[in-house]
Amino acid sequence: MNVLIIEDEKALAHELEFFLVKNNYICEICYDGASASEKIAVNLYDFILLDLGLPDYEGLDLLREAKKANPEAACIILTARAEVTDRVKGLDLGADDYLAKPFSLLELQSRMQAITRRKFGITQTVIDLDGFLVNITDRTILYQVNPVNAITKKEFDLIAYLLLHKNRTLTRAQLSEHIWGSVINDDYDSNFIDAHIKNIRKKLSAFAPVDWLETVRGLGYRIKTNV
Amino acid sequence: MKLKTKLTLFNAISKLVIVTLFILLLPNIIEKINKSYTDNRLVKQKDKLLQIVRDKGIKTYIENGESYGSYLPLKEEYISLDEVEPTYHLDTIKDEQRLVERDTIDYRILSHTFKAGKKNYLLEIGKSTETIGETTGPLQNIAFQILLGMILLTILADQIYSNYILRPLSIIIRTKLIGNKFPKVTVYKGVKTSTSDFQHLDISIHKMVETIETAFQKEREFISNASHELMTPISILQSKIENMFEQDDIADELKVRLLEMQKILNRLKSITKTLLLISQIENDQFLKEDIISVNDLLQDVYEEISIRLQDRNISMAILVIDNVELLGVNKFLLFNLLFNLINNAIKYNRTDGEITVTGQWIKNNYTIKITDTGIGIATEELPYIFNRFKKMKQSLSQDSFGLGLPIVKSIAAFHQIGIDVVSEQGVGSTFTLTFPVKLTGSSPAG
Repeated sequence: MNVLIIEDEKALAHELEFFLVKNNYICEICYDGASASEKIAVNLYDFILLDLGLPDYEGLDLLREAKKANPEAACIILTARAEVTDRVKGLDLGADDYLAKPFSLLELQSRMQAITRRKFGITQTVIDLDGFLVNITDRTILYQVNPVNAITKKEFDLIAYLLLHKNRTLTRAQLSEHIWGSVINDDYDSNFIDAHIKNIRKKLSAFAPVDWLETVRGLGYRIKTNV
Repeated sequence: MKLKTKLTLFNAISKLVIVTLFILLLPNIIEKINKSYTDNRLVKQKDKLLQIVRDKGIKTYIENGESYGSYLPLKEEYISLDEVEPTYHLDTIKDEQRLVERDTIDYRILSHTFKAGKKNYLLEIGKSTETIGETTGPLQNIAFQILLGMILLTILADQIYSNYILRPLSIIIRTKLIGNKFPKVTVYKGVKTSTSDFQHLDISIHKMVETIETAFQKEREFISNASHELMTPISILQSKIENMFEQDDIADELKVRLLEMQKILNRLKSITKTLLLISQIENDQFLKEDIISVNDLLQDVYEEISIRLQDRNISMAILVIDNVELLGVNKFLLFNLLFNLINNAIKYNRTDGEITVTGQWIKNNYTIKITDTGIGIATEELPYIFNRFKKMKQSLSQDSFGLGLPIVKSIAAFHQIGIDVVSEQGVGSTFTLTFPVKLTGSSPAG
């Protein structure tokens, strides 16, 4: 998939590119609005990652141009200007998602995958983990044919996020940010991810062993699967 | 009492006192005036008579030693002339009674002895006191009425004038002091007045408000700008760490250190985000258009927070005795308000402790009470718990940076929700949120 990164902070643009290329996306970078405007007019992209705070261009204007020239492209707004009105305006103008800086690259990837699923009509995503059938779209888990009902919304979010980034160690900080990203509180080191994982293991192991959910010592958690 | 009322009241009372005194003294004064006037007239009549005697001789009145007397038909005045002993001497004006044709009448009498020829005479001129006093009553009445009218008129005039002259003051009080959400930027609108004191007052108040407002504005702008400017570098660092963490050639030992960096960066991120949130709330950047029931809101918070109870086996009860729909609120902010209060109730609780959240009408306001069985807050620290970065002695061991309650405070202020804290050290704390009627509608009971 083709991604256009419009970001005036070069260091950030490069990290985004590095991450996305590693995850099999093809990237182009623009550091300013003028060149981005040209690129949008000429090329077709699947994703446009747009920083609203460009020095030379009104970010929302660029979004309008992108929607006109590249109607198929999914636009994700990235901004440090966290004004609430920006968010509303951006989504009104047809942006597909909105990420406030600073954001986790994993979060960006999961949003992009969600958009891909939605836009490109991948209707059912069921993953088999040693007999546990995890349905990402319906948000259900079956063990063979038996529904696993005890799993809460938060717990499912955790499983889905780990699954999305399967075979990759996710740190507690990354998981916390995904689960509690919108909660503003003054804890900086509280870790309730462990409690969640403990609960998940307890609930699932009533059906079968959950060896696929691994604790990576000192680092975090990982779902290991070769599916 | 208002200044205007006080002034009017003082004016009225002082005038009434003066007028009452005057009215009381009036009979005396009139009597004195009348008397002196009468005496004057009597003396003049005497002089006139003596002149006649000198010009024409005593014989005009007296012949053969007979006495002379004359009075007006209604006996209100009389005159008499008698021969008396040569040594007798009298020159007085007195109130005396005289018998005139069987009537005893009170007179003001001038008695005067004089010599004419070789004889001594006594002249008496009398004026009935009744005729002297008869004007006193009507005069008093008229004076009373006129004065009363004048008083009413002046009180009215005073009232109108003080109203007029104090108008700028009441305008200043009404528009610039009462009901002004302090401080608030408003374009300076001078109050029209020719009274320099009021002009001075008006301008001083305006300048003070402006100074305070500028200071607040600067602080807000600074926090907002600083937070924005910090977000980008944090974002770059976070991405770099995440990318490094994924790299295959990095040893686990190094990954642990990257993780520590990530934690510290998260802390920086949390502080920055929280400060930005507070500044956004204080700059009125959030909409208040959501509708949510207290029950749903508390359930949402419970869902997010229940995992935190597990660790120390804390039990939490949500008692929504009366459920209400909150109108015109910001769901995200209210969620964070309750989350932070309940989060504190968990953090500062003891193992096996309890938390009770109660939602109910108390009198005319809806309230949510959050009671914990935690360490409590020392009385001397209570006034400071909502200050930014203020950490209480007991909370030093906790992983927080002292912005939880400031968030709570600014969200509550944004919704005009009142917060009360009651706490006893070692027993626990109760935070009470009192919702304004406009968010909840009025109480079904009243």
